[in-house]
Amino acid sequence: MGMGRLSQEQIVFGLALLLCVGFALALPGFLTTNNVLNLVRSVSILGILGVAMGLVVIGRGIDLSLVALMAVSVAWALHMVGTGMPLPQALIIALAFSLFIGAVNGWLVAYVEIPAIFATLAMGTLIYGFGRYFLLDLDVVYMPEAARHILWLGQGTLFGVPVPIFLFAAVCLGGHLFLRYAKSGRYLRAVGDNMLAARITGVPARPVVVLQYVLSSLIGFMAGIVTAASVASMNTRLAISTYVYDVILVVVLGGIGLSGGRGGIRNVIVGTLLIGVLLNGMTILDIQYTVQNVIKGAILLTAIVIDTILNPRDEQTAQQGDI
Amino acid sequence: MTPIVEVRAATKEYRGVPAVKGVSFTLHRGEVHALLGENGAGKSTLTKMIAGVVQPTAGEIWVDGAKAEFASPSEALRRGIAMVYQETSLVPSLTVAQNIYLTDARRFHRLRGIYIAGQQFLQSLNFHVDPTAMVSGLGAGQKQMVEIARAVHHKAQVIIFDEPTSTLTPEEKHQFFALVERLKLRGVSIIFISHALEEALAIADRITVMRDGEHVVTDAASAFDREKIVRAMVGRTLTGELYGSHKHRAVRPAGAKVLSVQNLSMGNLVRNTSFSVFAGQITGVFGLIGSGRTEAAKVVAGVLKRDLFHGGQVRLDGRPVRYRVPRPAVRDGIIYVTEDRKVEGFFETMSIAENIHLAAMAGGRTKAATVSMGEMRAIAKEWIAALNVKAINADARVIELSGGNQQKVVVAKALVQKPKLVIFDEPTRGVDVGAIAEIHQLINKLADDGIAVMVISSYLPEVLQLSDRILVCRQGRIVEEFEGHKADEETIMYAAVH
Repeated sequence: MGMGRLSQEQIVFGLALLLCVGFALALPGFLTTNNVLNLVRSVSILGILGVAMGLVVIGRGIDLSLVALMAVSVAWALHMVGTGMPLPQALIIALAFSLFIGAVNGWLVAYVEIPAIFATLAMGTLIYGFGRYFLLDLDVVYMPEAARHILWLGQGTLFGVPVPIFLFAAVCLGGHLFLRYAKSGRYLRAVGDNMLAARITGVPARPVVVLQYVLSSLIGFMAGIVTAASVASMNTRLAISTYVYDVILVVVLGGIGLSGGRGGIRNVIVGTLLIGVLLNGMTILDIQYTVQNVIKGAILLTAIVIDTILNPRDEQTAQQGDI
Repeated sequence: MTPIVEVRAATKEYRGVPAVKGVSFTLHRGEVHALLGENGAGKSTLTKMIAGVVQPTAGEIWVDGAKAEFASPSEALRRGIAMVYQETSLVPSLTVAQNIYLTDARRFHRLRGIYIAGQQFLQSLNFHVDPTAMVSGLGAGQKQMVEIARAVHHKAQVIIFDEPTSTLTPEEKHQFFALVERLKLRGVSIIFISHALEEALAIADRITVMRDGEHVVTDAASAFDREKIVRAMVGRTLTGELYGSHKHRAVRPAGAKVLSVQNLSMGNLVRNTSFSVFAGQITGVFGLIGSGRTEAAKVVAGVLKRDLFHGGQVRLDGRPVRYRVPRPAVRDGIIYVTEDRKVEGFFETMSIAENIHLAAMAGGRTKAATVSMGEMRAIAKEWIAALNVKAINADARVIELSGGNQQKVVVAKALVQKPKLVIFDEPTRGVDVGAIAEIHQLINKLADDGIAVMVISSYLPEVLQLSDRILVCRQGRIVEEFEGHKADEETIMYAAVH
């Protein structure tokens, strides 16, 4: 593979460690308690979203509506609480909305057979527009008093460790167990590896695709709750930011091949580490937002090129096209 | 006269593993030279060195009396060496003429100009292909003609064919042989890699056999017969087991009628076709490519998209069924074993064990919603032993296996689902000689165990050897039925082509 015996995963992990040490030595603000807490929180959210995206990408799809759906549905939940609805009820309604949209995404990809990249791109735009016009009055919805209980999920600590890291760990564990031990997890990998073979083998291929997007919207919703809890608000403009590309960056950089079937949760974890540290370091360095985008874009492109070299096009990809 | 191509003690290593070991090979002007050997014997690597696709690790290649060191296929092409691949290298969305003139020095062509030139050129080769036709709409045989035309257009002195006939119908094969003769008359030298021994015996002037990357024997084709080639190829005799005299074998009686298809129609491909398959018997289906045999089987097994289903009735054990996706068919015990294992046969990122176990789960042979690693290992072990899959262990990935062992895994995936009816579509395509015999034994055993077996093949000796009943498919219909021991090649072929 031209990279010795190191896997992409190990290389990325090594890079993340190097970067960490480098920042810690070079940046006085990097190792402060405040920054480390901040880093862990943002990394956790990115990681939870990475698991959601990772599951879809392993199933040979992609979910560009992930962040838009998360932002709008959680903002809507906060908005409903603000208008007097009890918190649990608002969360359930918003979650149901989120799962429904996920199922629609899956239906579009599996049954209408629209390429995932277009179906979810359109869905993301639709959700943001719909949410802003019909559901919400403002771009930013602040956490109402009645929803204060969930602040703990974003700002609290357990044994001195921020709660989001536990949530990230739980989502990772769940995702790992699902992929390894659940029948449907195996099916998901099979569908991602070779849709035609999965179909012929008798795997319920289309329901599995729907499941991918439902799972991604479920995990995305959880990430949204943590996001809202850590900053006590939800900014729906996140939906039209480049945040979803950071998530894709995490997944691809970690080594989950875009050609499907390859990689697992471990890849999400190492990808998250590297990107989280990088983003945080760049912010402390006070690098301009636009320059940060140049750096992120360049890394994403490089990662995709390396992915293509490591996971070359197979006969099936050649026949069906990518994603 | 100096030979047109001379390979002197060439060796090619891939990461230190030799694929070809010190092979010398000579190609005379205007000869047809067949290159035979099992999968992995080094035939493709040898010809790729000649065509500049790969460079030898050691040894020399001489073309027309001069030493050649090709860095790329285009350099070889400039010296008149062209290779025609198994997978065609044409651009599907361009027309025939555009493909032929694609790599010409001129950057822009007038379409009208190349259509007229193409028409004349194709006629001069006696190819009946429309130069304005889109390549994607051509059959395998016509595509090959276009590839050959392109090679001739580039003034190729040497044309290398890598398994040219494996995707052709018998009719197209005859056209191909006639074409080889015409190329020969033009003074073109031909290297011909094949698995089909009769073809090599019929059209080659000389035959070279390779085994395990080494040269075994080269001699005039007249000095060989089937037996001798096979012995040279495998170092053991097994023709008898393979395509021995089918007439001495007892025909299995028909058991219960498992599948009955009546007036099945689907677009242009399957027209009002009716047939039955019985338990404990092998029903062979012979037909040319495009005769609708694969499509009819795929409709039965729910593999084709439902919007193509135009009517008719399918009964499984007397019960009417209509499958829109393969899953319910698999659950009911109808398993289709694909003709194209790389595209739809197995999961390349998964191990042998995972592949087989996934099929067991999808076939409803395991009940739990969770995966048990112990159960997976047990199932894998059982089937690897039963089918004699040669692999380092059950955790090896299927993609790393040879064609024959890949096919065995695909078959294991089908059998682990406990089928009532197995439809094998070209079960031995791209499979080496040793594995063919094993797969045939396996198919026979299935029928002996009382399972209904359907074997679709475009290789007549295979159909004759295996079948208890033979159905002949033509233009979307089953047109003729034979008792296995009463049929012979000529009557079947007659039914298939008229």
